[in-house]
Amino acid sequence: MEWFFANASFVAGLALTHLSIVIVPLVLGSILAIVGARLVRARWVPGTTTVLSAVYAIPSLALFVALPALIGTPFIGPTNVMIALTVYAMASMYFSARDAFSQVPPSTKTTATALGMSPLQLFVHVELPMAIPGLISGLRVVSASTVSMAAIGAVVGVRNLGYLFLDGFQRRIPEEIGTGLVAVFVIAMAFDLGLWLLGRALTPWRTRGGQRV
Amino acid sequence: MFSIPDLAAWFADPVHWDGRYGLWFLLLEHIAITLAALLLAAVVALPLGLAIGHTGSGEFLVIGLGSISRAVPTMGLLFALVLLWGVQLRDFSLLVALAAIAIPPLLAGAYAGVTTIPWGIRDSAKAQGMTGFQRIRYVEFPLATSSMIGGMRIAFIQVVSTVVLAPLVGLGGLGFGIVQGLALRNYSQVVASSLVIIVITIVGSQLLGWLQQRTGDRLDPPHPLEKK
Amino acid sequence: MKLSRFAALAVSLTALVGLAGCSSTPAPTSETIVIGSQAYYSNEIIAETYAQVLEDAGYTVERQFSLGQRDVYIPALEAGEIDLFPEYTGNLLQFFDPAATQTAADDVYKALGSALPAGLTALAMSPATDQDSYNVTKEFADANSLVSIKDLAKITGLKLGGAPELAERPYGPTGLLSLYGVTVEFQATGDTTVDSLVAGMVDMANVYSADPRIKQLGLVTLSDPLGLFLASNVVPIASDVVNADARALIDKVSAAMSAADLVAMNVRSVDEKLSASVIAQEWLVSKGLLKK
Repeated sequence: MEWFFANASFVAGLALTHLSIVIVPLVLGSILAIVGARLVRARWVPGTTTVLSAVYAIPSLALFVALPALIGTPFIGPTNVMIALTVYAMASMYFSARDAFSQVPPSTKTTATALGMSPLQLFVHVELPMAIPGLISGLRVVSASTVSMAAIGAVVGVRNLGYLFLDGFQRRIPEEIGTGLVAVFVIAMAFDLGLWLLGRALTPWRTRGGQRV
Repeated sequence: MFSIPDLAAWFADPVHWDGRYGLWFLLLEHIAITLAALLLAAVVALPLGLAIGHTGSGEFLVIGLGSISRAVPTMGLLFALVLLWGVQLRDFSLLVALAAIAIPPLLAGAYAGVTTIPWGIRDSAKAQGMTGFQRIRYVEFPLATSSMIGGMRIAFIQVVSTVVLAPLVGLGGLGFGIVQGLALRNYSQVVASSLVIIVITIVGSQLLGWLQQRTGDRLDPPHPLEKK
Repeated sequence: MKLSRFAALAVSLTALVGLAGCSSTPAPTSETIVIGSQAYYSNEIIAETYAQVLEDAGYTVERQFSLGQRDVYIPALEAGEIDLFPEYTGNLLQFFDPAATQTAADDVYKALGSALPAGLTALAMSPATDQDSYNVTKEFADANSLVSIKDLAKITGLKLGGAPELAERPYGPTGLLSLYGVTVEFQATGDTTVDSLVAGMVDMANVYSADPRIKQLGLVTLSDPLGLFLASNVVPIASDVVNADARALIDKVSAAMSAADLVAMNVRSVDEKLSASVIAQEWLVSKGLLKK
C-alpha cells in the first residue's frame, strides 16, 4: 500500500473528478426518469420501453466515442461521458420509477382526488411519498452502476479513477489497480448507504412502531 | 466524420465480414464469451439462490452481493485478474469478471422465484413427506424457473454490453470494432459494431422474455378451453 | 404608462445579463497553455516536463493528459483545444502523409514541418527517440538466426502481436508483406503485447523502442534496413498560443533529453512505480532546468 500513500493526493484529485462527473448525470437522469415515468401516456408505454431498453443496450464505450461525431460535442473533456451517463441513468431509472409508481394503490389516488387534490398535489403529497421505497432502491442500483460505469470514461481520456486501471495495467502496477478498485467501491457503497439512509429518513412511517400504513 | 451512407457502405464491404477480425468471427466470439460467462455465473448463482430461498436463511447475501458487485468496476476487476493470473489465463479472467456482473441478477431471480411460491404449496409438499431435495427438484425449481429466466435476461443484457471491454486485454468480440474504430477514428466501424451488439441484445432479450412467459404460468396454468 | 422608462430598464437589464454572460466565460489569456499527452505513461512524463518548466517560468498550464490515439487528439490540436503536445516525428509524419518516403531523422523532421497543418509548428526535435519496432524473444531469434526483419521472410505461420490499430498502419502486416515479403497473422494484443510475446502466444510483437522491458526481458529488436519504420524522435507540437519565450524553454528541455534519459525515466516509472510528475521534476532538477 505504499503506492497509495505516495500518490494519495493524486488519487484524491482523480476521485474528485470522478464524483463531479457522476453527480449531475445521476440527479438529472433520475429526475428525468421519475417525471417521465409518471407522465408518459399509457399508449406510449410499450414504445418507450423498447426505445429505452435499446438505449440501455448500447455499449457505454461506443456511446462515449460516438457522441462527438453524432452531436458535435468537443472531443476533449468530460461532456460526452456525462451526457452518456445521464442517458444510461435515465434509461435504468425509468423502469424502477415505473414499477415504483405502479405500486401506489389506485384507490389511494382516487381518494386523494376526491378530497380535492390537484394532479400536482397528488403527485407531490401522495404518489411520491408512497413510491419512495421503490424509487430509493432503483436509485441505489443506478448510482452504483453509474459510479462504476464512469470509470470506463478513462478510455476516452477523462481523468477519473478509471485512469488508475489503465495506467496500472500499462505499467504493471497491481497496487495502482487495487487503489482504483477500492476507491470506486468506496464511493459506490457510500452512495448506496447514503441513499438507504435517505430512504429511511423520508419514510418515517415505515419504521415507526405500531400500526403500519 | 460520420454519415449513414458511410455506415451502409461499411456494412456492405465484404472485407469487414471476413477473417479473424471480421464481423462474423467477432459476432460468434462475442456470443460464445457471453454464454460461457452466463453459464459460469449460473452454476454458482442458481443453486445458491435456490438454497437461500429454500432454507430462508442467508437473504442478506442476495441483496449484499448485488450491491457489492454493482459497485466494483468491471474494467478494474478485469485488469486486476489478468495481472494476477497472468496473460495466458486471460480468457478465464474475463469470464470471471463477467460472471461477477451476472451472478447478482441470477441469484436474485432464483431467490425471488422460490420465495414467491405460495406457502401453501411448499407446505403441502412437505406434508406429503417430500425431502428437502425432492421439494427443490419437483416443486420449487419448476415453479421458480420463470423468475430464474427473468434474472438470466437481466444478466444477459449486462454481460453482452460488457464483453466490449475484452479487447483491452487482447481478447476479441465485437468490442474490437469499437476499440480499433476509436483509435482510427473510424466512426462507421464503431457504430456498426455497436449496432450488431444492440441487435444481439434485443434478440436475446426477446428470446429470454418469451421463454420467461412460457414458463410463467406453471403456478396457475390457463384452462385449455380458456382464451389466452 | 411610462413606456420609455420601462424600455430603458429592460434594455439595461439585458445588457447587464449579456455582459455578465460574457465575463463568466473566461477568455484564454495569452499565457494559459493547454498541454496534452497520449494514453502512454512515457509520453505523459515528457508532457509533464514541458508543463513544469512552463509553470516555473510563470505560465498558467492546464493539463489534459491520457487523451488516447492520434486520431482523437489531432483534431483537438487543430481546433485549438490543445496548445502543446509531445509527439514523435516519424509516426506523426505518417499520420499526415501516409505515402511519406523519408526515413532518416533529419529528413523526417523536415518533411513533418511541411506536412503539419497551418497553425501548428514542430518545435526543435529532441535526440530522444521512441518508435515502433518489431521484437522477438532471444530464444526465437537464436533458433531462427534472426537479425533483421528480412530474416523473417523464410518463416511461415508467424503471429504478430500489437495494438488493434496496427492492423491498419502502413508499417503493419501490409507493409511487412510489401516491403519485406513477410507474411504474418495479426493478433490484437493491446496492453498485453509484451506478456503475450514472452509467453509465446505470438512470435513477434510491436514494442516501443523506449520500453524498458526490451532490455529487462532480453528481447531482440530486429533491424530495419529497408526503412519500414520512419525514425521517430520526440518533438513538441505547438500552436500559435505558445509564444517565442515559451518555445525557447521547451527547446531547452528537448535538447537536454537524450534517448538514454527517456529510457531511464521509463524504467523509474515501471520499476519504482513513481508518478509522471515526480519523475519529470527530478529529471528537470538533475539537468538544471528547474530549481528545487
